[in-house]
Amino acid sequence: MRALFWAELFKLCKQRRTYYALGAILVMEIIILFSAYYQGRSFIDLLLTNFKETFYFEGNLLNGNLLVYVILNTLWFHLPLLLMIIISGLLTAEYKDGTLQTVFLQPVHKLKFIACKYLAAILFTLVSVLFLMITAFGLSYLIFGQGDLIVYLDTFNFYEPHDAFHRLIWAFFSGSVTMVFYTVVSLTMAICFKDATITWIVAAFFLIVSSLLIRIDYGDSLFGKVLYAKLGESWQYFFHFEIPWQPIIINNGLLIVYSILVMALGMLIFTKNDIS
Amino acid sequence: MKHIMYTLYFFGTFFSCTSAFAQQVDSDLLAIKERLDAIIAYQADMSLDIHADFIKMPTKYATVTYTKDQPLQFSSDDFILIPKKGLDVTMSQLFEHPFITVNRGFEKQNGKTYKVVNVIPNDDKSDYSIAKIVMDTVMTRIVSTEIHTKKEGSFTLQMTYSDKTTILPEQLEIFFEMERLRLPFNFLGKNAEIDRKKMRSQESQSGSIILMFKDYKIKYGSSVSR
Amino acid sequence: MIISGKNLSKKYGGLKAVDDVNIQCNSGTVTGLLGTNGAGKSTLFKLLLGLVKPDEGSVTVNSVRPKPLGGIIEKPCLYNYLNARENLNLFSKIQGAPTSKMAIDGLLEKVGLPLDRKDPVKNYSMGMQQRLGIAIALINQPEGLILDEPFSGLDPIGVENLRELILELAKKDGIAVLIASHNVDELQKCCNFLYVIQNGTIIKSEATEDLISQHTTKYHIVGKALMQSDILKIYNPKVQGLGVEIECGTADIGKVLQELTAQGITINSCTPRIDLHKLFQPTEQ
Repeated sequence: MRALFWAELFKLCKQRRTYYALGAILVMEIIILFSAYYQGRSFIDLLLTNFKETFYFEGNLLNGNLLVYVILNTLWFHLPLLLMIIISGLLTAEYKDGTLQTVFLQPVHKLKFIACKYLAAILFTLVSVLFLMITAFGLSYLIFGQGDLIVYLDTFNFYEPHDAFHRLIWAFFSGSVTMVFYTVVSLTMAICFKDATITWIVAAFFLIVSSLLIRIDYGDSLFGKVLYAKLGESWQYFFHFEIPWQPIIINNGLLIVYSILVMALGMLIFTKNDIS
Repeated sequence: MKHIMYTLYFFGTFFSCTSAFAQQVDSDLLAIKERLDAIIAYQADMSLDIHADFIKMPTKYATVTYTKDQPLQFSSDDFILIPKKGLDVTMSQLFEHPFITVNRGFEKQNGKTYKVVNVIPNDDKSDYSIAKIVMDTVMTRIVSTEIHTKKEGSFTLQMTYSDKTTILPEQLEIFFEMERLRLPFNFLGKNAEIDRKKMRSQESQSGSIILMFKDYKIKYGSSVSR
Repeated sequence: MIISGKNLSKKYGGLKAVDDVNIQCNSGTVTGLLGTNGAGKSTLFKLLLGLVKPDEGSVTVNSVRPKPLGGIIEKPCLYNYLNARENLNLFSKIQGAPTSKMAIDGLLEKVGLPLDRKDPVKNYSMGMQQRLGIAIALINQPEGLILDEPFSGLDPIGVENLRELILELAKKDGIAVLIASHNVDELQKCCNFLYVIQNGTIIKSEATEDLISQHTTKYHIVGKALMQSDILKIYNPKVQGLGVEIECGTADIGKVLQELTAQGITINSCTPRIDLHKLFQPTEQ
């Protein structure tokens, strides 16, 4: 199985699409960074309007931490879409090029093969999020420096630079669990649909439906608490003044369970189907 | 240390009293004013804690430097919110223009009885219309003030002292109100649950900021610090 | 006997792609599967190679090697962004085969590919890709090789080179080779035994020589002054290209050639023409 996993990583590293994907993430991030700057500026202006009648203030709120926070807010639709396209391509390209057939003309176990595909997809996702995190912090801090972070979540929450940094890092970790769920779903879609274009359309549709489901208020219902779309918002909890660790752990745990279930479904379908 | 300059124009000018003025001004208040006017400069380490339902901020630290007739200076490494009103513990703004006092009797606070006077400025140039001062006549210092400004609403100050002799407070609590709070709805975190009607119905939000002073270095009228 | 398929059937929807097929191939021999497009050749090969599960029947592979069978279905499917060495390395690694430089060089040499070429496979000609496909099929030394339309897309020299390679693999390495094609001329030059498949069913199976001779009804003879020969007149001669086509069976052609030679007519070539309609007609029971 190690050899199969190595083969998947080798193929990922050798394909130009992998680097196009990382390049696209970087370009997307730079564009979002500039839009975040203007968004952040209008937010700060509005905020300071509230406070300036009562207070003088010093220190720069429009800093790297705020911009990374704005990037986080914006990224959780664009990044999954990009990842879903790349990850589904790991399998649809093999169907299209026929290399899947060549692989199974060798003595290779179907279950091990598809398990390694999932593992490679998960690894690529985590590396992408890590890449995103490092570049987001790097670019934001380099251009805009550090400082207090202000977030509005029921109250105006101010976080000191080192506290803000840690919260943002945790938010990335939590967000990466959500990204893994989406990429596992996209690979399972590739198993079901095999064709690249159909898989992209279904993946985009899935994301659109997810973003619509997030907006619905389910009240205190159990459905709202276990719905995958809502669980993906757990990263926001890190910006409550007192971090509620229990719901964060439960939500991410549930997402991991969902990912495992989706993977199991994908593996079952793949092993049952003929290679054609 | 980041050096911050503010254009807080609380002039610590010494206010000389005429004999006629002195007759309309409470003697206890005058005694307090004399003690405060003797301070020509001070420096202290300050911590700021905001107590408001709608603001959550960790304790911030700064150094405050006061020189008579000069703007207050603050220096800090952190992002800080400095209240516009109430930071002048020498009450120089209050006593800047001629005023009269009206005795309002006594008031109990924390089990102690204090004298209460109203301060009414005589000069139209004054920024405030009336101020209520609660005084500790035994220790010759101010316990609390409620100042009604002409253009910027009212604010209340509560002072706590560390020992019997000091004229400058260890703790200063400034109560404030913020009106017509505008929330950045478009920028809100996705989990924020906003009751917009409720928000709009609450015309103002209130809170207090607690300033703790320590390590005062006070310079009096003579060259020797006391 | 290395590869054997018994009573194999496979249905796709309402269409029976393979219907009760029996087929086998022995080591050291080259067996051909002849059929028109859509006859069921590729489906049958997928059943033999285990890519597709049969609805009925069974496949037996008489080998204890880790990889009993190697194969190519329709065309060699390679990782086009990798070069030949990287493709071989990857496919060797995933099945636990040796990946040393010596092992990979050995595979490249066996199929006649250059050892030093580093550009990706997408730059290779069709013939080179076929060879690489065969090299991948040969990883881990299978005892059987199944090649679906290996000559398709190749130029005449490519076809000849590939044919020589296939014959060498069977003869020298003792591999059982099963080749599918729609081109009887290609198959008859390298196969010992032929199966003919039509509409998913094997309609004929015989030694190549016998099958060809039974279905050869014409010959195309190229030579000088052929139309002047009296001998040819009884065989309904027709001028075709540079030669003459006569209606003559395998039994009589020897005699015709002898008589032409006796008349002093120089014969440059004599090519049998197989009656394909008859060939793809099921044998009357």
